Amino acid sequence: MEAKTNEAKTNDLNTAIVLEGKQYIVVKIGTEQYGIDIQYVDNIVRMQSITRVPKAQHYFKGVINLRGEIIPVMSLRLKFGLEQDQFTNSTRIIIIKLEAQATIGIIVDEVKEVVTLNEEEIDKPSYNENDEKASYLFGVGKHGNSLISLLNITGVIVEKEKEKTNM
Amino acid sequence: MKLQMRYADMWGCSKMDVSQYLEIFIDETKEHLQNLNEQLLILEREPDNADTINEIFRAAHSLKGMAGTMGYKRMQRLTHDLENVFSEIRNGKISVQASMVDVLFRGLDALENYLDVITNSGDEGDEDNEDIINDLNAFLGGGQPEAAAGAAPAEAPKKEEENKGEFGSVFKDLKVADFEQHAIEKAKSEGQNIYGIRVVVDENCILKAARAFLVFRALEEIGDVIKSNPEVQDIEDEKFEKDFIVLIITKESVDVVKNAVLSISEIAQAIVEPFNLDLSVEENIEKSDGSNVTGANADSPKSKASTAAATATAPAPAAAAKAKKADEKKPGGKPVVNRSVRVDIEKLDVLMNLVSELIIAKNGLVSLNAGTGHDDGKRSSSFNEQIEYLERVTTNLHESVMKVRMMPIESVVNKFPRMIRDLCKKLDKKMELFMTGEETELDRTVIDEIGDPLMHLLRNSADHGLESNEDRVKAGKPEVGSIFLDAYQDGNNVVIEVRDDGAGIDLERVKKKAIEKGTITEEQAETMTENDLIALLFRPSFSTAEKVTDVSGRGVGLDVVKSKIEGLGGDIECKTVKGEGSTFTIRLPLTLAIITALMVELGDEKYAIPLGSIQTIEDIPCSDIKYVQTREVINLRGNVIPLIRLDSILDVEPRDEKPESLTVVIVAKGEKLAGLVVDNLIGQQEIVIKSIGKYINNNKIISGATILGDGEVALIIDANTLV
Repeated sequence: MEAKTNEAKTNDLNTAIVLEGKQYIVVKIGTEQYGIDIQYVDNIVRMQSITRVPKAQHYFKGVINLRGEIIPVMSLRLKFGLEQDQFTNSTRIIIIKLEAQATIGIIVDEVKEVVTLNEEEIDKPSYNENDEKASYLFGVGKHGNSLISLLNITGVIVEKEKEKTNM
Repeated sequence: MKLQMRYADMWGCSKMDVSQYLEIFIDETKEHLQNLNEQLLILEREPDNADTINEIFRAAHSLKGMAGTMGYKRMQRLTHDLENVFSEIRNGKISVQASMVDVLFRGLDALENYLDVITNSGDEGDEDNEDIINDLNAFLGGGQPEAAAGAAPAEAPKKEEENKGEFGSVFKDLKVADFEQHAIEKAKSEGQNIYGIRVVVDENCILKAARAFLVFRALEEIGDVIKSNPEVQDIEDEKFEKDFIVLIITKESVDVVKNAVLSISEIAQAIVEPFNLDLSVEENIEKSDGSNVTGANADSPKSKASTAAATATAPAPAAAAKAKKADEKKPGGKPVVNRSVRVDIEKLDVLMNLVSELIIAKNGLVSLNAGTGHDDGKRSSSFNEQIEYLERVTTNLHESVMKVRMMPIESVVNKFPRMIRDLCKKLDKKMELFMTGEETELDRTVIDEIGDPLMHLLRNSADHGLESNEDRVKAGKPEVGSIFLDAYQDGNNVVIEVRDDGAGIDLERVKKKAIEKGTITEEQAETMTENDLIALLFRPSFSTAEKVTDVSGRGVGLDVVKSKIEGLGGDIECKTVKGEGSTFTIRLPLTLAIITALMVELGDEKYAIPLGSIQTIEDIPCSDIKYVQTREVINLRGNVIPLIRLDSILDVEPRDEKPESLTVVIVAKGEKLAGLVVDNLIGQQEIVIKSIGKYINNNKIISGATILGDGEVALIIDANTLV
């Protein structure tokens, strides 16, 4: 009985996605545009003072105080092997909530807009197991003339676990 | 007691969902079982201790009532048979023997198993424990071989006979006070009947007080109840076993009264006799000034005992309500139990008061803000006043909230005496457990986790630590080995020590074993200190036991203990003296959430060092720094203390100026000291510990972060990892 309802639900969900597509927040890092699935985004805050955490992974800038919660902040630039962030007026921290009790902030150069992408507007990248960076993306979206690399947020954040154990 | 409070709203309610009582049932059953365990241990030593026997009987009786109420038939049946044995012991019909205690303990274990199954599934499972029941019944001398068949029937007839003798007359225990006597005389002169009624409630009745209530209501419809034994209040509180006596003035006949009472279900018997004042006057009349107490203190010794028993039973059957309905509708098959803390009402009162004060302080600030007309100087001074007030309140609030979370360690350690007793038998070693500091309080979360590690350590001591009795005698020690469990508070830590006066750890054997296993090389072994060798014991799968016993020695001991304790933010140390015994010292943080810390500056950054680990703060001239094996040390009042440059460990950009002297924070972990070099001291502060999240990786030096008054984040240094 229950299984049936679930099935029905997923069907509904799928239909909804096909019909309406998914919403992505488009951010800029360097010259490239990235899209972040809006369902993971908890909040977008302006740059604020970051407390450095010694001995952390190099791409972690440190922690911030977001309304009484301590949130670790990572730099996507450093994660992607780009040069250091230049904090400007448009720099933002996107607060991502994957699961309760596991909030994380990522620093981006600029937040541009929210777009809706349909399934057919997304190209899946070719799968390459050895390319670690490939796991950060799950597709490339086409929106008007521009291309948006869609971030696989879980890949960007959680895959750290693996690195952690290697360290 | 909780049960009793809840049942107040059950009057007149016929259908009862027992699942909501499951939590309480589990809690109270645990308590009763613990109590039984303890008392049984005493009984084993002092077979004639009447208090203990009574206490045991009461606990067993309560257990039975509760199990029955909740519809756990198997549990009820086993408890019932246990109770039978206890009752025979109490009556002096059989005496306590070692073999009996063993069986009784087995019975308790079986009950504990039931409870575990219930906790996990809400159902009692289908283990009948037939063997235990048979063994129990064997002690009864075959008197009631089929007692098991049903909880009640076996007992009822027997009791019935007793009762006949006991209550030869309905009124034997009844005392009549002056004013009652007047009432009776007056009624008599008006031609009314006075009856004494002994109402016997059905053995299986669970809501006894409710039935009694109905009896009273029925009687009040046909006449005036002038007296009852026990007192009405006690009856309402279920402070009676299965019968009570009512004195009633009525115009109706004996039969009418009798039928009125019997019309209420679950009333087994109603004996109605005319109350003859003249007969009873002499011995029964009592001066009114003493009458208040009489109800509870009926004079025959027998009924005294039963009153006592009833009092003890009261909380349990109150569980009552419930019912046979429970049979058909057993609680669903999932664990229904939440973790709860029983809180002393007083602690809550304090909390409540503090919260009201907090509100007052807030209002003070609000009104300060509203009143703009005053001059600035006055405003700021009263503003400061309010701030100070607020500070005081929040500090107290914090303390009380913490206290609410605290539980005495007793709830964990009180099961150990029983465990040691069992180990005595199993290992065939004589030993005794001495415990102190059971009242030491720890955070609830810690209490929940600390039981297993402690049990491990105790088993270790019993199995490996203590030598066999012969060896002990040979070594000139007392034959009976001693294990000590001491708990005490030490600053911000709670220390628990498990100590034995056994042979100590054979470090040479540890060394050999380690080399054998390839954990260390022989060259390494040469240079290892005693402490290094002891540290080996905490490595995974390292056991020196020559033979694996049932008790311990499977090599999954100390490393598990260590990781568990470290998971709680504590640490464990071991000291051993060959031939004299070993001591395991567990150090746990008092609380996990809020601590007092020293704020320090390193470069531009602020860090917090928990005050609990700080010993002193010293100003050390740079010229006093010495070098030992290229490491910086200082000689502080005779102690050589290694210096730790926090800034280089934490990759802080060093300050430009090179000061003449260093500010050194001396931290301690157990007896080890270290000096942390900091750039500047800010001061002491209460900080709320927050996690820095699971994604960020750090070398455990940073144990968390806290938010300072200005919103800035400061990291907390775990000094224990540095020492």
